[in-house]
Amino acid sequence: MMVSRSAKPVVLYLTRELYVTFFLLIGVSLVVFAVLYSAPGDPLAAVFGGQVLSDAQREEMMRNLGISNTWYGQYWSWLVKLFNGDFGTSLRSGQPVLGEVTKLAKNTFYLTFGAMFFSLMIALPIAIYLAKRGTDRLGWVLMMFAYTTSAVPLFWSAYIVIYIYTRFFNTLPIGLATGESMNFTQMMLPVFMLGLGSGIISETVRFLRDEISRVFSEDYVRTARAKGVSVWKHALTEALIIPVSEMIASKIPFVIGGAIIVEQIFNWPGIGRMAWQAAQDRDYPVIMCITLVTALIVRLTSLLQKTLYVIVNPRASQETKTS
Amino acid sequence: MTQYAQTQTTVSEYSELSILQRTDKRDIAYVVYGIVILLMVVCAYLMAIFGWLPHDPEEMQLELMLAGPGAPGHLLGTDFMGRDTLPRLILVIKAYFVPGLMYIAVAILLGGIFGILSGYYGNKYETVVTYITNIIDSFPRLILMLLVVAAFKPDIYYIMMVLGVTNAPLVSQLIKGKISMLRQKNFVESAIALGIPDARIIFKHILWFNCRSYLIIQATLGMGEAILLESALSYLGFGVQEPTPSWGNMVQQGANYLLQGQLWSSTIPAMAIMFTVLGFYLLGDGLNNMLEGKRQS
Repeated sequence: MMVSRSAKPVVLYLTRELYVTFFLLIGVSLVVFAVLYSAPGDPLAAVFGGQVLSDAQREEMMRNLGISNTWYGQYWSWLVKLFNGDFGTSLRSGQPVLGEVTKLAKNTFYLTFGAMFFSLMIALPIAIYLAKRGTDRLGWVLMMFAYTTSAVPLFWSAYIVIYIYTRFFNTLPIGLATGESMNFTQMMLPVFMLGLGSGIISETVRFLRDEISRVFSEDYVRTARAKGVSVWKHALTEALIIPVSEMIASKIPFVIGGAIIVEQIFNWPGIGRMAWQAAQDRDYPVIMCITLVTALIVRLTSLLQKTLYVIVNPRASQETKTS
Repeated sequence: MTQYAQTQTTVSEYSELSILQRTDKRDIAYVVYGIVILLMVVCAYLMAIFGWLPHDPEEMQLELMLAGPGAPGHLLGTDFMGRDTLPRLILVIKAYFVPGLMYIAVAILLGGIFGILSGYYGNKYETVVTYITNIIDSFPRLILMLLVVAAFKPDIYYIMMVLGVTNAPLVSQLIKGKISMLRQKNFVESAIALGIPDARIIFKHILWFNCRSYLIIQATLGMGEAILLESALSYLGFGVQEPTPSWGNMVQQGANYLLQGQLWSSTIPAMAIMFTVLGFYLLGDGLNNMLEGKRQS
């Protein structure tokens, strides 16, 4: 790519990232289309009450309904519909899918990012402790704790927590979907369980530990230490902000996946529970929409992370890599 | 002469001891624990195949429902229909084994192809591979699995296929890093200079001689994840289907009785999941520290 001298490299870098995100979303839509296209079953026959159609009849009908013969024709018309905000109607409720999904996406958003925050609150202190002290006795216990949280099946630990909660408070911490009033603890319980059980803590601990100890052995940190100034002030960006934002961007899909289970157990009205219901009913417009929306969220988080990265580390915009 | 012999012994002693000296005692403990779990899994598979079960897994004893461990005749208790838990736990391995292997094969094959293309051939394919892996990484796995389940049918082979594909980017990234590092080494350059075909350099000299422990580590780490995801899907009702037992649907059935205070019938399979997954994680990590020498603390 020709780099013009007038534009700032940061702006150019971000423009390129926007392009990349756009093409990735096109690719994502292609994958979703490919899955749905190759699914068994004949939608045309379903429209006409399940009768077997001859080739001539099929051709005739496709021309009448304005459906393209080729896969790329169908893909193109599907894509144009998506851009106009038409994600189809739910087979179950008959409502437009996109409206329902965006209505519930807010709840999942709270759940997912709250859980991410909790995970980091648990993982960060452990990682810093391990980076500074190595695996001594307490460090080993913390490390094993991090491993165990990733190995316990989330759906079981959530049930156990509900059980304990009911024993102490005599109420169920579930029922946001049915519109019951819930206090703060009841609202926080699913968020906390997802944060603990989505399985990202152990990997976060390992990654942050390695990054922090790598940065702390660099020359500039040693110089800062020798001068007697605060080490964290100098190493904050490289040892903490960049790895943490990287971790958030790369682990968000896992937390969204865990949200399906937590929403199911705690009766939390979000798109995870909706996806489960849709898969149960084989309501594929709904699940297609949810897949696209979550992929969009993942890509946007990644874009945000890259923006943050290039802001705190302007050198990155000079790198001429081809991704 | 004697001096020479002495140096020989010290060197050989050193090289014999070095791998154990270099690694933490804890890593060795992890590996031992992981190998014990692995052996238990293999034993359970053999027992399930040949039918050497300690109890009939289908026999129902309605007077002994939801019994805790240590109930008469039932070492690990019974489920909600009074079926013995232990043989059902063992039977599950049979349902997991082949799909699990398929998952590993898909992940390593696909990830290997991507890794070789971007690591060995460099710029020519790197953009394409990064593009494809980024697309795969955009999907939350569980949602992609639900999409596939809704479009096709709930089947463990489909699920493991999706899991293999979604794990390929990670494997590809690791292999790519390793290959592009080895690519700079003299032995690869001399192999190229000798006119050895690329395929032989990649498969024999790079992958087989230098990456095989790495691939095994990846496979073990991935196995733990596969068990967790499969049990999550079974819990949601899309994994292994009834009446075939799976750890996920055993926990789920037990959990229906959990709020009545019947803890055991879901806790036992959950513990089975936990110890097995922990075993695979620790084995992978311990091997990684042992063979790759990641940690020099």
